[in-house]
Amino acid sequence: MKRTAQLSLRVSTVAITVMWVGHAWAVPTVSAITVETSQVILDGRDASWQILVNGTTADGRTLDVTHKAAFRSNEPGVAHVQETGVVEAMTDGHTTVEVVVDDQRVVVSVEVTSASERRSLNFENDIVPILSKFGCNSSGCHGKAEGQNGFKLSVFGFDPTADFQALAMEGRGRRVFPAAASRSLLLQKVSGAMPHGGGVRIEADRPEYRILHDWIASGLPLGDKSDPRVSSIEMTPRERTMAIGTNQQLRVVATFTDGRRTDVTRLVDFQSNNDALVAVDDAGFLTVGTSPGSAAVMATYLGNVDVFRIAIPRDEKIEDYPEVAEHNFIDRLVHHRLRQLNIVPAKPASDADFLRRVYLDLIGTLPTTDEAREFLSNSRSDRREQLVTHLLERREYADYWALKWSDLLRVNRRELGHKGAYEYYHWIRDSFGANKPIDQFAKEVIAAEGPLNESPAGHFYKAVKQPNQMASTVSQVFLGVRIECAQCHHHPWDRWSQSDYFGMQAYFTQFNLKQSPRGEAILSSANRKTTHPRTGGEIFAHALGTTSPDASPDGNRRHLLADWITSPDNPWFARNIANRLWAHLMGRGLVEPVDDFRLTNPPTNPELLDALAEYLVDSDYDMHQLIRLITSSQTYQRSTNVNDSNHDDQQNYSRFVFKQLEAEVLLDAVCQTTGIGEKFRGVPEGSRAIQLWDSEVPHYFLKLFGRPVRVTACECERVGEPTVSQVLHVLNSPKIHKKLSHEGGRIAKLVQVYADDKDLIEELYLAFVNRFPTDQETEVTIGYLADQPDRRQAAEDIAWSMMNSLEFLFNH
Amino acid sequence: MKRQTSYCDKKNRRDAITIGAAGAFGSWLTLPGILEQQAIAKEEGKASRDVALIIVFLQGGISTIDTWDMKPDAPAEFRGEFDPINTNVPGTQLCEHLPRVAQQSDKFSLVRSFGHRNSGHGPADHYMLTGYHPAAGFNASLKPNNQRPAHGAVIAKQLGPRDSVPPYVCLPKMQNSAGSSFLGSAYAPFVVDADPNSPNFSVPDLAPPFKVTASRLENRQKLRERIDRFHKTAEAQANRRANALSTFQEKAIDLMTSPTTKAAFDIQQESEAMRKKYGRSSLGQSCLMARRLIEAGVRCVLIDHTNWDTHYNNFNVLKNDLLPHLDAAMSTLFHDLHDRGMLESTFVLLTGEFGRTPRINKDAGRDHWGPSTAIALGGGGIVGGRVIGASNERAEKPATTPYGPEDLAATIYHSMGIDPKTEFRTPEGRPIPIVDGHGRVIDGLF
Repeated sequence: MKRTAQLSLRVSTVAITVMWVGHAWAVPTVSAITVETSQVILDGRDASWQILVNGTTADGRTLDVTHKAAFRSNEPGVAHVQETGVVEAMTDGHTTVEVVVDDQRVVVSVEVTSASERRSLNFENDIVPILSKFGCNSSGCHGKAEGQNGFKLSVFGFDPTADFQALAMEGRGRRVFPAAASRSLLLQKVSGAMPHGGGVRIEADRPEYRILHDWIASGLPLGDKSDPRVSSIEMTPRERTMAIGTNQQLRVVATFTDGRRTDVTRLVDFQSNNDALVAVDDAGFLTVGTSPGSAAVMATYLGNVDVFRIAIPRDEKIEDYPEVAEHNFIDRLVHHRLRQLNIVPAKPASDADFLRRVYLDLIGTLPTTDEAREFLSNSRSDRREQLVTHLLERREYADYWALKWSDLLRVNRRELGHKGAYEYYHWIRDSFGANKPIDQFAKEVIAAEGPLNESPAGHFYKAVKQPNQMASTVSQVFLGVRIECAQCHHHPWDRWSQSDYFGMQAYFTQFNLKQSPRGEAILSSANRKTTHPRTGGEIFAHALGTTSPDASPDGNRRHLLADWITSPDNPWFARNIANRLWAHLMGRGLVEPVDDFRLTNPPTNPELLDALAEYLVDSDYDMHQLIRLITSSQTYQRSTNVNDSNHDDQQNYSRFVFKQLEAEVLLDAVCQTTGIGEKFRGVPEGSRAIQLWDSEVPHYFLKLFGRPVRVTACECERVGEPTVSQVLHVLNSPKIHKKLSHEGGRIAKLVQVYADDKDLIEELYLAFVNRFPTDQETEVTIGYLADQPDRRQAAEDIAWSMMNSLEFLFNH
Repeated sequence: MKRQTSYCDKKNRRDAITIGAAGAFGSWLTLPGILEQQAIAKEEGKASRDVALIIVFLQGGISTIDTWDMKPDAPAEFRGEFDPINTNVPGTQLCEHLPRVAQQSDKFSLVRSFGHRNSGHGPADHYMLTGYHPAAGFNASLKPNNQRPAHGAVIAKQLGPRDSVPPYVCLPKMQNSAGSSFLGSAYAPFVVDADPNSPNFSVPDLAPPFKVTASRLENRQKLRERIDRFHKTAEAQANRRANALSTFQEKAIDLMTSPTTKAAFDIQQESEAMRKKYGRSSLGQSCLMARRLIEAGVRCVLIDHTNWDTHYNNFNVLKNDLLPHLDAAMSTLFHDLHDRGMLESTFVLLTGEFGRTPRINKDAGRDHWGPSTAIALGGGGIVGGRVIGASNERAEKPATTPYGPEDLAATIYHSMGIDPKTEFRTPEGRPIPIVDGHGRVIDGLF
């Protein structure tokens, strides 16, 4: 029966947990307990309430002991309580439920009202959630585009009208049979009384079966337009630090427009954003795995979402947590988190590591041997800040950041034509060369107006042509929010509805492109209507998160949107920009993926993200300032060293992570180190790969190493995973071999100039890996030179080995 | 307690797969790890059949009305210039210009009631090679242009690599729709960008540059391991991509030095007689290469052969150029596989992206025709010599139960022991089944 099933679930979960953790897991004895709400009110026949029990341990920790508690109802006839702490209404009256954990006892009062009244059912509120919870409308079954076996429901239940139609009216009326409800096809199939491709979904003894039955038997009420609707859901708890192997029972309460609050835990869809860290079952019972980290569990219900954030410290508490240097607020906030998680950060990076890292991060270019020597012999205490200042002024800074933003803003030669793409690119490059404030940069793109040859930023709208694409792309690039899912249905994991999506699209419906005496020009003279695809009603422009108005705002809507996006109050813009820069420098965003901000994908360190965003706004959106801030922190200047506590940390910046080099950067590195450049089609001699504005310049290496095609605004276009072909190429490519062995190349020259092996080795190291060799490395390489009959070839071998090393191929 | 919101057949959606973590061949698991992975896959019924796949993709769209779905009784302006001949399967006839194939007809079957709704090269390529009709926003000129993973990528992911050969190979050039889409570059095809028929054929970058001798290569390998600061360090292992790259480097060395792999790609090892039997053409030698690769353990080989797009001079081009090559290649492939006892475990598919127009055009050619084409498939458990379905009297559309690319996908996966209901997740988290919607295994083949 149900109770036994749930008991066995708990036992098996515990058993699994014990297996996982490998040591005996026991909830420590608690010295005090409290319950969430000591007064439970159950209104209506189907009402239930999940009691949550918190325990405090002797050493002051709070943890969930709900499933450790024993519950007993003093009058089971009035209110019945399950072993998991769910109280269910039986008949009207008052009673109490006793909660006991170890030797602690607490009493919860329970009042049941209207238990015999069958509240009139509302299809959307009562039936649709059941169809979602039990998978009926999932995209694998009846929710897919063509339905299943002639029965189609809307996926995620986003179209209750259509679903009602499908159930109550279609199927020749066989699906539901009010005169004898249990003979309805719907009930027969879900309970297994009739063969069903989806198997048994809802057993006949479940309350949800009873609700479906009652709905059919009471004549398939649709409900009234004036019926209260769900306005929000709230998860309890919303945030907790949990130890490895522990559990948490969650509860979700829905608030209706009439103020009524109902426990809907049984009906929400729970999902962990990281199954490896945290697993959650259908009843909202959560189990922490064996790895430390940050995770989030989201609950979705009828288009509403809420999230529970978990921090999982490492098991072993660090007794003597070392003193860690803190340079600015970044370090304070990062270290606070690390301490919480029992992770000790790695030691600081050496000057040589910092040198190479910051060159690649800021200008996508390796230092020359002279630059390396100069920095490494600089003894000023502010040499690192000085270096950053120098790099920010280099012409390569503009090249590199223009390359990155050209990817996002879709500088696509095929779409824009040669001239258009070139001018668009140069506008971007000039903007970064002048360190244009990023809010102004964004505004110039979004609100671009007039002839394209005077407003090259407007080429954005030639790459992104339709209002719906404009809305999605602007959202994704500048706000970091992906709204496309909401074009066709409710966004599955965020609160955006189709109305929100089309509300954004409506900002772009004045846009048109016309020929003018001064060439192609952007005008805002169109006025297309935006209609809701389902209801057909007109949708007026309104920004994400604002309420739908009765009319679109006056004036040029793109200008208004640009103002809203770049306003200091905008919840996303500054955070998005800060997060993207952080992700670039640190190898992982605080929100990851970087263009997927949503309630259910929270930042791993929200305080840090807020602080970075605030800093950006306060510095008038000055990118140089933000770069300076981050690069001067101890967090950025950490080494990649692994210690006992940080080796599993992927999220919290306790050690610097290896980053892959972009295709263009790697190609330039190969050319620079070997001293032999590449000739690219269509650009002047001597151009470097990071200067290529046309992402379609044919080049095998660039294609092989994941240069993006620039047809979407997704960062993911730049393929970030290594492949075998890449590896084979660097190992064996005849072209690279030619560069290494070229008569006019670096190796040939060095071998000639430096007769002393030690000097030669030093030059090779400074050129290829931008540092001096260690004594051991010197010994090995000099030994190699001595062993080989051909000194030049030996030097090539050494260079080849360096080029194929992880040290060369990654940014670390 | 199983998740109630699992798939119809009770499989947990979230069993599908994180993307891109494992490497192409050799993930960041060790070899024992890979074997364990394969054992688990086997247990879950994934690799239970150990069948490999060869797709001979006749790019441009082979004219099936002139080859293996002939209509000799149709009016002249439809039936064309060729006559049918008998095969070694009573009742089945093929084009007179495929005489050798006719003698191997017992080894493969034809599905003549096949068709789909797209007569454009790019979209039709994608449709046939992934089982998914491309959606709005499809850009055929991307390389690759996949919105969904090609069959080879799915197979590479589900079945994993064997030995040290790549699981999925595409030759003699990249096919635009052969990519792995959201499965990531780990399951992208290993592309052999060279014509196996050319006199000094070799796989690009598979061997070191000419001037680097074997002993110098060995010196270099040793040196690299000694001077790479991060070689086999905890730091490298703690970083997924560095770890992957490092593993690939080992695998690459294996590839370069493994006799099996070198041999597999070394087509010169084949006797001149055998090479002649397949035909000294790009198609012929690609088929031979495919056989070698399957023997070496490759799971899927996609041969992209051009150009079957006979808008002009259809009959002469077919008669003089294309069909002789196909005749030699296709007949020898089936015969050869059969001879070596490999046919049962090798699923061979020959098809274009669509058929061609029944009515001959003014240039003595035929144009694109998606609604009716015929596919040839054999091996991998398929009973040979059968004809499934029929097109109408002018090969304009299926006359019996129509089958499409979704059904082809289901059939392929079924043969290979991959559950057609398997689902992957895109980076946005959207669940995508490997077989689109209603695709079902083609009746009567197995």
